[in-house]
Amino acid sequence: MLIAVNPEIALLIGGAALLGLALTFWPKNGLLALLARGRLNTQRVLLEDALKFLFDCEYKSIPCRLNSIAGNLHISADSTARLLDRLRAMGLIQLQEDTFRLTDAGRSYALRIVRVHRIWERYLADETGVGQMDWHGEADFKEHLLSPEAADQLAAQMGNPAFDPHGDPIPSSKGEMPVYTGKPLSALKEGDIARIVHIEDEPAAIYAQIAALGLYPGMQVYIMDVTDERIQFAANGEECVLTPLFATNITVESLPAPEPIQKKADLLSALKAGESALVKGISPTCRGQQRRRLMDLGIVPGTAITTEFRSASGDPVAYRVLGTTIAIRRSQADQIFIDRQEAKP
Amino acid sequence: MEQLQNKNSENILSLANNLRWGLGVNLHDAVIESIYEDASRIARSTVQLKGEKADYNLERKIDRLVTSRWLGFPIMFLLLALVFWLTVAGANVPSGLLASLLVDTIHPALKSAAAAAGLPWWLSGVLIDGAYLSMAWVISVMLPPMAIFFPLFTLLEDLGYLPRVAFNMDNLYRKAGAHGKQALTMSMGFGCNAAGVIASRVIDSPRERLIAIITNNFSLCNGRWPTQILIATIFIGGAVPAHLAGLVSAGAVVGIAVLGIGFSLAVSWGLSRTVLKGEASAFSLELPPYRPPRIWQTLYTSLIDRTIFVLWRAIVFAIPAGVVIWLVANVEVGGENLAAHFIDWAGPVAILFGLNGVIVLAYIIAIPANEIVIPTVLMLTVITAGLTGVGSGAGVMFELDSVTATENILRAGGWTLLTGINLMLFSLLHNPCSTTIYTIYKETKSVKWTLVSTFLPIVLGLVVCFFVTQLWLLLS
Repeated sequence: MLIAVNPEIALLIGGAALLGLALTFWPKNGLLALLARGRLNTQRVLLEDALKFLFDCEYKSIPCRLNSIAGNLHISADSTARLLDRLRAMGLIQLQEDTFRLTDAGRSYALRIVRVHRIWERYLADETGVGQMDWHGEADFKEHLLSPEAADQLAAQMGNPAFDPHGDPIPSSKGEMPVYTGKPLSALKEGDIARIVHIEDEPAAIYAQIAALGLYPGMQVYIMDVTDERIQFAANGEECVLTPLFATNITVESLPAPEPIQKKADLLSALKAGESALVKGISPTCRGQQRRRLMDLGIVPGTAITTEFRSASGDPVAYRVLGTTIAIRRSQADQIFIDRQEAKP
Repeated sequence: MEQLQNKNSENILSLANNLRWGLGVNLHDAVIESIYEDASRIARSTVQLKGEKADYNLERKIDRLVTSRWLGFPIMFLLLALVFWLTVAGANVPSGLLASLLVDTIHPALKSAAAAAGLPWWLSGVLIDGAYLSMAWVISVMLPPMAIFFPLFTLLEDLGYLPRVAFNMDNLYRKAGAHGKQALTMSMGFGCNAAGVIASRVIDSPRERLIAIITNNFSLCNGRWPTQILIATIFIGGAVPAHLAGLVSAGAVVGIAVLGIGFSLAVSWGLSRTVLKGEASAFSLELPPYRPPRIWQTLYTSLIDRTIFVLWRAIVFAIPAGVVIWLVANVEVGGENLAAHFIDWAGPVAILFGLNGVIVLAYIIAIPANEIVIPTVLMLTVITAGLTGVGSGAGVMFELDSVTATENILRAGGWTLLTGINLMLFSLLHNPCSTTIYTIYKETKSVKWTLVSTFLPIVLGLVVCFFVTQLWLLLS
């Protein structure tokens, strides 16, 4: 019954089999994941991505040239030219002077894709545990797979959200979008909060300076001081200074009603044992189920909260809220804003 | 007219939609927040609290003690160790009594009654040696520990202590991507995995709950403890000097249990970062006030809801398994019974994993309950190794009172120290019993996660056994 297999050979074969299993099932880069991605029709994906980019240019009133399309899609100028020829033959775009414009059919196609993309981002942000950094990439993949009907259903389940988690409007199912409200950074006043949506890359000298400051589209800026000579602002906590001329090369979008809690507020995690405070709010970065759960427990503006005791391992910490004791992890306590002054002794 | 109305309502809807863009990103949250705010303001101004201050101070004192930096963990380990000790020590006697009644007394009585009634041998074999005996075995091994463990555990829960355990352990489980309450479902799994899976309901975050369900099988349940102790005593205790045997074999069993906890944390970590990454996750843990336990209610709920419930499911699955066990040992094809055919076929492969054909077959046909693995292994070994003078015939499971006699059978079946070690590892790392698998399906309502929970431990077990065996052979 005993068959003699050399243990060294067996170990080698076993190791190889294990490696094979890992290579097949590894998330994201495994064979199965690659196969799933390979099923996507790459031609259609390119076509839809090109339409999306053209729509983006049109929405932000930026001229759209062949080179910028090629750069955005990461393909050569030749392939881009062929792709655009196809789009023109399909009646989705037209050439005006040297820029490409969407036809009505092309625009409604692009809007469908944008809608699916943003609904999916919203879904990932609110209903799943997918991390913030992965929203965009996953939606870029999913937008080519999800039918508009399925997207409508998903949107209805979430109460037809009007914005994606980055604050961009979600086009309606009829293809309507709000008027674009982008304006130059130089037009902002002190105290405004805005988000960078575009950085002009011409002339190159100014672009290099702006890029050296580490600014990028999607960044939130808070205007600290405006004079005739300079604009001082904070971008992601870093202080930056630009001349008004340079600032005109940055397009921003005003963010609705800056909330005071986004500025300096004490965090619940800083409240020491025995201290009390009033809840001021939950950071917008805490979303979906976790946010609802905290509110269910009574973490809403105006509630008194007292730090009670720490767990034997230091985290989580027990707090007294509305007559009950609840445990909150440090990472959550970092997202809850409090006001120590107003608390009753 | 109707057309005009349709057009009007469409216009209104589209206008409403456009207006929503102007309301800003946080409208939903703002509405919900203001509802909560109003509700809590109304409650603050109308509800008065009185008379809870004194209790509250005492409670805080207890809380500070059981969650304190230095005493928190020792208190926890002592209490849990006490529960396990009471279970193991207390279950021995009733288990023996039940076994002598159901297996040693009623079984022969049934057999002779069947013979007197003129039942054909195969019918009495299938029904009495197969179905009845496996049911009797499951009841006598499973019932007493569960009837002790569950009430004790429920008592701690009722007292309000268990949420503090979750609170203390959360840091560790958070790092593994799990919920502190998984410490509780895991402890429950040491009693019974099916009960542990049901207990995972207390975790209200979908991702962490799935993790707790899938990894519960890594808790060595009380159906597997006797196997571990027996094999460790025979093979590991037998490999060291006699005066160390007891200590070393006990250490080996605890080591396997700790290895199980390690696997459960490691697999939680892996799952939360790969396949379960996208599942929604939210942490919340309430620390309810301490309460004097309601003894009768505790007894009732833990006996009826947990013990009887789980036992019933186990019996339902054990009866058909008993029939199958009897049949594979008695149905003959080409002069050999089915068991022998399978064992001959699977043996060469099983050797690579340091196991043997008998063990593989026993684990397949004894899926319903880990309790009947050793009786099945003994029965199969006796009939395949052609031993005489032990056991009660083909298809009749048995166990021996004497450890030495058991050892003789296993050694005759070709077992070595390596086989013993691999059996202990495989007993920890194999599919959950069918009761647990069914419970997982009931709890998750998902075929996918049921399959993952079933096959993930088998794959892990085979990988671990394979490398242990081959490295052992290489180095020895």
